[in-house]
Amino acid sequence: MKRYEALLLTVPELTADEAKSIEQNVARLVEAHKGTLVSFERWGKFKLAYPVKKNDYGVYFLTRFEINESEPLVSEAKTLLNVKLHDLIMRSMITHLDINGSLSYQRPTSLEEGPSREVGSFFREPRSRGLSDGPMDEEIGNE
Amino acid sequence: MTKKIKLKISARLLKKRFRKTGQGGKQCRFCGSEEYEQNLDYKNSSLLKNFLTERGKILPSRISGNCALHQRSLARQIRKSRTLALLPYSAGHF
Repeated sequence: MKRYEALLLTVPELTADEAKSIEQNVARLVEAHKGTLVSFERWGKFKLAYPVKKNDYGVYFLTRFEINESEPLVSEAKTLLNVKLHDLIMRSMITHLDINGSLSYQRPTSLEEGPSREVGSFFREPRSRGLSDGPMDEEIGNE
Repeated sequence: MTKKIKLKISARLLKKRFRKTGQGGKQCRFCGSEEYEQNLDYKNSSLLKNFLTERGKILPSRISGNCALHQRSLARQIRKSRTLALLPYSAGHF
């Protein structure tokens, strides 16, 4: 048995139905090769480091599956992710995982999880002072 | 009016700063703890961000103090992370 994981970067305007259809497609492919789908997680919405297909934001999904070594799954999974689901998935990468290693991992915090900023607090924050209104001006004003 | 303005950190300044803080010899962070070594992964972009310069280049091991083995795996993970747009190839235009 070999364990793989795939990180998918999808378009930001992804609906829940489309996300489900991606999961079903992956699950169907893994089942066809007599493997098991270990997990399918949604990371959430992220601001990308650079625009991909003219999108500044994207949604990440992480999926993991186990499969027999003799099965030609990886090449078929690549065609599924890169060709058949081309309009939903912008980038994808399949990597090999250690079968005995732990499944825990760390990931960056998404925009949905991070602290939200209220509109009102933005104006209340002290702004940096320019050259015009320093202590010099106060002295002039007192005179 | 003698406020110090924080400038953009260039690679050369980073080098100076690392030299000042390091007492004795520099040590590889990943060699010490197993937990830290496991976190060295392309998905953990918040950790990998510390090993990039402001312009998005990979910090050399001479500055970060990593051993050769971990510097290689670190660079590999950063390159993986870049393809998935978790880390930048270079900084944007100013």
